[in-house]
Amino acid sequence: MPIQLTMPRLSDTMEAGTIVRWNVKEGDAVSSGDVVADIETDKATMEMPVYDDGIISKIMVEAGRQVPVGTPIAMIAVEGDSATAAEIAVPPVTTQATAPPAPEVITTTASDARPVPAVSGSASVSPAQDSARVRISPLARRMADEMGVPMSILTGSGPGGRIVRQDVIAAAARMRAGGGAPTPGAGSLVARTASAGSSFLSVPVVALGEGSREIAVSGMRQAIARRLVESTSTIPHYQVSMRFNMDPLLELRSMLNEQLAPQGVKLSVNDFVVRACALAMRTHSFFNASWAGDRIIVHADVNIGVAISLPAERGGGLVVGVIQQADLKGLREIASTTRALAEKARTRGLSVEDMKGATFTISNLGMFGVDNFTAIINPPNSAILACGAALEQPVVRSHQLVVGHEMAATLSLDHRVIDGAMAAEYLKSLKQNIENPATLLV
Amino acid sequence: MTAVAAREIEFRDALREAMSEEMRRDTRVMLLGEEVAQYNGAYKVSRGMLDEFGPRRVIDTPISESGFAGMAIGAAMLGLRPIVEFMSWSFSLVAADQILNNAPKMLYMSGGQFGCPIVFRGNDGAGGQLGSTHSWSVEGLYSNVPGLTMAIPSNPYDAKGLMKTAIRCDDPVFFLESERLLGMKGEVPEEEYLIPFGQARVARRGDDCTIVAFGRPVHLALEAAEALAKEGVSCEVLDMRTIRPLDAGSIVSSVRRTGACVVVDQSWSFGSPGSEVASLVHRECFDDLDNHVHRVHSADVPTPYAHALEQEYLPNPRRICEAVRSCLYRA
Repeated sequence: MPIQLTMPRLSDTMEAGTIVRWNVKEGDAVSSGDVVADIETDKATMEMPVYDDGIISKIMVEAGRQVPVGTPIAMIAVEGDSATAAEIAVPPVTTQATAPPAPEVITTTASDARPVPAVSGSASVSPAQDSARVRISPLARRMADEMGVPMSILTGSGPGGRIVRQDVIAAAARMRAGGGAPTPGAGSLVARTASAGSSFLSVPVVALGEGSREIAVSGMRQAIARRLVESTSTIPHYQVSMRFNMDPLLELRSMLNEQLAPQGVKLSVNDFVVRACALAMRTHSFFNASWAGDRIIVHADVNIGVAISLPAERGGGLVVGVIQQADLKGLREIASTTRALAEKARTRGLSVEDMKGATFTISNLGMFGVDNFTAIINPPNSAILACGAALEQPVVRSHQLVVGHEMAATLSLDHRVIDGAMAAEYLKSLKQNIENPATLLV
Repeated sequence: MTAVAAREIEFRDALREAMSEEMRRDTRVMLLGEEVAQYNGAYKVSRGMLDEFGPRRVIDTPISESGFAGMAIGAAMLGLRPIVEFMSWSFSLVAADQILNNAPKMLYMSGGQFGCPIVFRGNDGAGGQLGSTHSWSVEGLYSNVPGLTMAIPSNPYDAKGLMKTAIRCDDPVFFLESERLLGMKGEVPEEEYLIPFGQARVARRGDDCTIVAFGRPVHLALEAAEALAKEGVSCEVLDMRTIRPLDAGSIVSSVRRTGACVVVDQSWSFGSPGSEVASLVHRECFDDLDNHVHRVHSADVPTPYAHALEQEYLPNPRRICEAVRSCLYRA
């Protein structure tokens, strides 16, 4: 019997994958363990090995295409099969085999839809599902809303892929099991799949003018788009800002960096901010929490996510690397971890592990000289801190106008979890930590 | 002190007690129908009533439903409170003009001059191999008419309490009994009680699915619920007691809790109490439903005579179980 290769589910939240590259072509011999393709998921690009020996008799989805999990992508003829037989045995692209079909079939554009390999005479292709429509029972929709389960991670088990109550309950349980509320293991801004189609994003009709060009949207870009639309449209955001006197911290930093230089250690302002934020969690646990519909989950671990922008040559975009248990790490370890994450993100790409479980996120544009900005919350976090640069400027100290360094930071908050006064208290603690930086050393 | 043993009587005796008590209480109440007097009722519901109340109040009629139903309606218009027994509701069809076209509309048509305080009662539903013409479940057909009340008890206690309410009702009441239940025994207290119309009874508590049932099918629903409990499915069974008025509140609050609804109605599906409940639930509980309302009715064919076919035609526990599983996506 020929063996059918299907789009594997490489992460909990993966609903679709893009074949970045085929390492084999039709007719190639493969043996168990061979990596036949690179698959881009919502989180990372991963290798797809085969578990059988045989001949690739058919490649059904060409590189560059995104298909739902479970979609047949290739056939392997094993000993005793003729290649033709293998080909004929290809069932139409319905995804019942391993996983129920994702409620929406992803096609980046309608014209991208590719004819499905049909079995002779049979037209029993799953009817082109309207990709703009989620089939979900009214109860399941309400429960998903209330429990904070995003539609994008739901897979329907009902007739025609309808999402029903048990699917929501199962997804919520998976989320809890994963350690974080709403999306466990989804520490990254790009953790959600882009699979739920374009319905989430309203898409204006844009004429393609002379000289304009179209750029295919990568999986990461789709995920960023989807996740941030979801964040801004479901989380009641508001912002609270504060300015910090940075002179003591900058002074301490330059002294430490001077003394640590022989050891090759260099602390950034951001490393201090990470530590200051993490320590403040001990007295402000709601900043390390997630809204879960009918309850708020306060996380035990303080995992600080750090937004890392990717260079254009790697396709741009951003990811969030996570410093696990940042409240238990010293400045030196925070610095080395952050540096390693940034380096890896910009060269090889972060693994799922590197992006997992953020409970609070910091976005810092200080290195670009940005004065102040606001950020969008990275679900399921309840807050994100946007840091500007420590700028030299005229400041008032002890009723005197002098020149000093100040940094503005703006918290974006989920009002379902954190009220304004709580935000002010947190910033006050942060200010305390930052303006008395020696406390960050011990 | 010794505990007073609960008194158990048959469904038919509960009906008779209700009628006799009301006849003692109110001399305007009378009973008429085929064989109700000298023969003590074709199903012995009126046993002994002729002896107690005499031939002026317990009257044997000729086999002429349109005649005696029409006569009783006239009596009701002029102040009496007749109880009309149809040996079977199947036989009431020949009196359709009287019972549907006159009684329920009388108050309206006469501009409030004439009410029609009358009870029509008799056996409803397939009795057991009586053939197509004698096996009517009139719930669907008759409940369509505005101006009437329709009661459908499932047990002796309800039969008595609802019958007393029916007799005291100032509007026509269609009281549907089941030949299959007349011998059923149940607790009925000696002291007087009435059961108001439009108040469902929770026959079984449950969390996963609400089963709405009327009359005899309540027992089939309970059997199904028992079987489903062994599969880990917890069903709530509502015994509606009356079809008009329909206790929408009980249905809605139960379905809002369970998120699933199966309705069991032994009449045909098209334009029936079952479709009315489905419509109600879809309207009032839309955001609470995990699936559409599933319905179990008699098959959409004339009632078969053959035993096996008749059993399959009627709602039965197996079909109810299938509907519940399907409604919960467990099929």
